Amino acid sequence: MKPSRMILAAACAGLLLTAATASAEVIGDIERGKALAGEICVACHGADGNSPVPMFPKLAGQHADYALKQLQEFASGRRQSDIMKPIVEGLSTRDMADVAVFFAAQQPLPGQVDDPSMLDAGRRVFNEGNPDQGVPACAGCHGANGIGNARYPRLAGQYPAYVLDQMAQFADGRRSNDKRLMQTIASRLGETETRAVAEYIASLEGSK
Amino acid sequence: MRYALSAMSLLLVACGSTVAQTGSAPRAPGIESSGYVWNQPDPDKDAALAHRPDIEKGKIAYEVCQGCHQPDGAGRADAIYPSLAGQHASVLIKQMMDVRAGRRDNPKMHPFVGEWVVSVEDVANIAAYLSQLPISLDNGKGSGNRLARGRELYDNDCASCHGDNGEGRAAEFYPLVAHQHYAYLYKEAVMIRDGERRNANPKMVVVIRDYSNEDLKAVSDYMSRLALPAAAGR
Repeated sequence: MKPSRMILAAACAGLLLTAATASAEVIGDIERGKALAGEICVACHGADGNSPVPMFPKLAGQHADYALKQLQEFASGRRQSDIMKPIVEGLSTRDMADVAVFFAAQQPLPGQVDDPSMLDAGRRVFNEGNPDQGVPACAGCHGANGIGNARYPRLAGQYPAYVLDQMAQFADGRRSNDKRLMQTIASRLGETETRAVAEYIASLEGSK
Repeated sequence: MRYALSAMSLLLVACGSTVAQTGSAPRAPGIESSGYVWNQPDPDKDAALAHRPDIEKGKIAYEVCQGCHQPDGAGRADAIYPSLAGQHASVLIKQMMDVRAGRRDNPKMHPFVGEWVVSVEDVANIAAYLSQLPISLDNGKGSGNRLARGRELYDNDCASCHGDNGEGRAAEFYPLVAHQHYAYLYKEAVMIRDGERRNANPKMVVVIRDYSNEDLKAVSDYMSRLALPAAAGR
């Protein structure tokens, strides 16, 4: 078993939790991650991380740093999910890193827009935010094309249903592993704007 | 006891609140309180000022700011987000820490500059990163109708601190005002005159106390059109 791809530098929980300035990249073994994902992730997230069900997020192309942080926080309960917790709490940090680098290396499929009439409004929110409400542009952190980076997740092509569910969780505080950034934003955005931006995110192809 | 109870109930409300923007911004004593001292020492501010900044780390930490202030630090004239590029690091650190501590009220910005988002070192690094960005030259301007009046006011009342060319003075925490958005300059000037910008310098409040809104517009317009001589203001 040889690692087909190694990403340099350390990945330890402490480092990743200090996020803003941490630029650690995850070391993982893609082949081992593939085998693990094939056992425990495949049913909901698909064999290549392009999940077949809109309520479950696409993981293909997600940044490994971000995915590892989420896995660790599902296990610790810092990000609450009755579905994810029992599945990941038995995994070692190495297991999580391997799964994370495997999904990061997969090719995301294009997203599906449910309501094209909302794309213009969504584009405006994504690129300009809502100054009256104190909402920053999504593009500021997630990138103009929604590809994100090690600190902020890739959004491009994600299912609107999943995005809307997360925004609702941020808005009412059920999800709170975000340094309160998304909690603030989700609680400031109106319902129509949120739906529009979710549609726009689905339309992003995320090419560099 | 009543105090303790109401403090407790406030705390409960804060904890129980479902909305996370919760942490409604704190409110620290400012210019409205007796004994106010402008720019008095503050542990976080002083630590940030003393930190040896890392510009590359500042660029990364700035990500959380650029959704409003733009990747080039130019802000937005239409949204009244100030231009930050080329501003003195000392000024940026003071203002960020004043917003964080609640000496400058900015509930929209507060959740993005909390200590749970940016460390003291991040603040210093962000300030250093912004201070070395090129000043954006296409800032918003005023009507241009009363520039002679604006110039007269500026030369008489403002230039001694903010500089003949609006370059400010880093060591004194006086901001660069040249190339700042007119709408932002005017809004802040009104708030400073009216005591609503609670971290204002009392010396400036005295100077502009009797300014009409028209005069504040004129001088803001004039400032927005000031141009720095090449390589000045650093």
